[in-house]
Amino acid sequence: MSQAHATKPLLTGVGLRLNYGSVEALAGVDLTVEVGSIIAVVGANGCGKSSLLRVLACVTPDGVSSGRVEYAGLNASSHGDRGRALAAVRALVPQRPEVGAAFSAREVVRLGRYAVGPDEHAVDRALADVGLSARASVAYTALSGGERQRVAIARALAQLDHGGVLLLDEPFGGIDPGEVVRIARALHARAQKGAVVMSLHDPGLARAIATHALVLQAGRAMVFGLADQVLTAAHLTKAYGSPMREASGWIMPQLDAPSFSSQGRMQP
Amino acid sequence: MRARGCVLLAITMLLAACLRVAIGPIGDEGGIRLALGIPSSEIFALRLQGTVSAALLGAALGLSGLALQALLRNPLASPFVLGVSSGAGFGVAAVLALAYTLSIPAVTFGGEVFGAVVGALVTLTLVAWLGRAREGHDPTSLVLSGVIIGAIFSAGTMLLEQLVPHGLRGDLLAWMAGRLPELPSRAAFWTVAASVAVGWSVLRMQALALDVASLSDEESRSSGVNLGALRRHLFLVGGLLAAVAVAYAGPIGFVGLIGPHLARRLVGPSHATLVPATALAGATLLVTADAARQVIDLGTGRLPVGVVTALAGGPAFLWLLRSGRWNR
Repeated sequence: MSQAHATKPLLTGVGLRLNYGSVEALAGVDLTVEVGSIIAVVGANGCGKSSLLRVLACVTPDGVSSGRVEYAGLNASSHGDRGRALAAVRALVPQRPEVGAAFSAREVVRLGRYAVGPDEHAVDRALADVGLSARASVAYTALSGGERQRVAIARALAQLDHGGVLLLDEPFGGIDPGEVVRIARALHARAQKGAVVMSLHDPGLARAIATHALVLQAGRAMVFGLADQVLTAAHLTKAYGSPMREASGWIMPQLDAPSFSSQGRMQP
Repeated sequence: MRARGCVLLAITMLLAACLRVAIGPIGDEGGIRLALGIPSSEIFALRLQGTVSAALLGAALGLSGLALQALLRNPLASPFVLGVSSGAGFGVAAVLALAYTLSIPAVTFGGEVFGAVVGALVTLTLVAWLGRAREGHDPTSLVLSGVIIGAIFSAGTMLLEQLVPHGLRGDLLAWMAGRLPELPSRAAFWTVAASVAVGWSVLRMQALALDVASLSDEESRSSGVNLGALRRHLFLVGGLLAAVAVAYAGPIGFVGLIGPHLARRLVGPSHATLVPATALAGATLLVTADAARQVIDLGTGRLPVGVVTALAGGPAFLWLLRSGRWNR
């Protein structure tokens, strides 16, 4: 996808590929992300959404991915040690976050500050952003699935307290609609200084939250552009391989905050 | 909770050490009998040396278990369960048998330690390779691989035991059951002490990264942890500490598994406190087991301490497995 940019992009991915053995999960995707963007990555199961986010985050094991990833001029692809410099400019929430120790919710969120230095205010803000301030001292194992997902998002928010790119893989899995609205507002606020790239299965939700959308098909970019121009019945029918239609019955949260337009799309 | 847990562990360790020093055999006309009391200064010095050795070996096993559990992201990992002890044991037996065949005094040049380290690292590599999944490791495959590899190496050790003469066979058999040296050599003492110090320092320096590494690999990398380097360190620390402990005391089971879990229950999951607490817990467990051994065998010194740790640790392991407490 080539676009004319007035300012330097926050994230650039060129020729991104990822292979699992002989399976080609990502077959050469280009993506440019500007400050203020919230990009929804949509597509059928196995089309490469998670793979794209992993390659953009530079968290794949050595040798399985190729292409060039740059964060505001920092060549992330050459960062062999996946070091601390990268941690300051991007944070990933995978599809299935894990915590293998008996930490409290706050302690898990605090782990996000590992490379960028301790900051209890950032931890407090992140917990508030996901509505978990009152549950901060509860053991992670005692939280519900949706709450655990919110802890994972808070960890990433705490890591990137001063901008950067949030890479979220199906971030709203198990989260109730009320909390989705709260987190969507937080993402919008964070996107003022940074950007968000997230995979979503619900095109309605994607259109409500995202400024832009990228539709993937079989590891390739099918179409990229403004969310309400890309997330159409025609494109999605092609992407999912099943007939899709645009109707008022399309289920989506009621996003009635002032930051959302009458078309349901968040204003950048 | 953390400070209280550390204090509790330290007090328990002190009590176990006092017990170990106070209990011991005394000889009289009727033979050897067990006595509890303040020994003479000479006997006190000997018992204290044995107690400190047991504490160091326990700390080595505990820290090795902690490193392996973090390395394989598996709370059931330990030198014994993963077959590392058996591999190290085979290494020692192979060096001793080879030295015997070539008429070389293996012990004088530290050959048994070399054999143990090679055996431990080879086993760990094999188990990690066999237990790998598409991404990361599968806990069940890891444990099963460890059990099978351990069984193969144990069989190999027994085979070697049959091939060596009677004198060496007796030593090997006693050592295979896990026996604390009554009078450890100065070299052995300092080797174990130095290994524990190195292992402790590496784990303590990486404490924060170890906390983050309890997240998924992707989240750990995203947070800035160099997982490759961290795992290399854990591999070396886990393998080295287990190997050194096995070289000097034989494959003592369950201390490396129960020690880290006991420490977690008392001080929580943060590695900044978990590292010293695990060393203390491992030391306490082995010194207590050694004191219990003295009571059970009435001070004759015939009962290997590995029997006591297996008798007490086996049920504890099953309890962890059944209750699911290993996952908390």
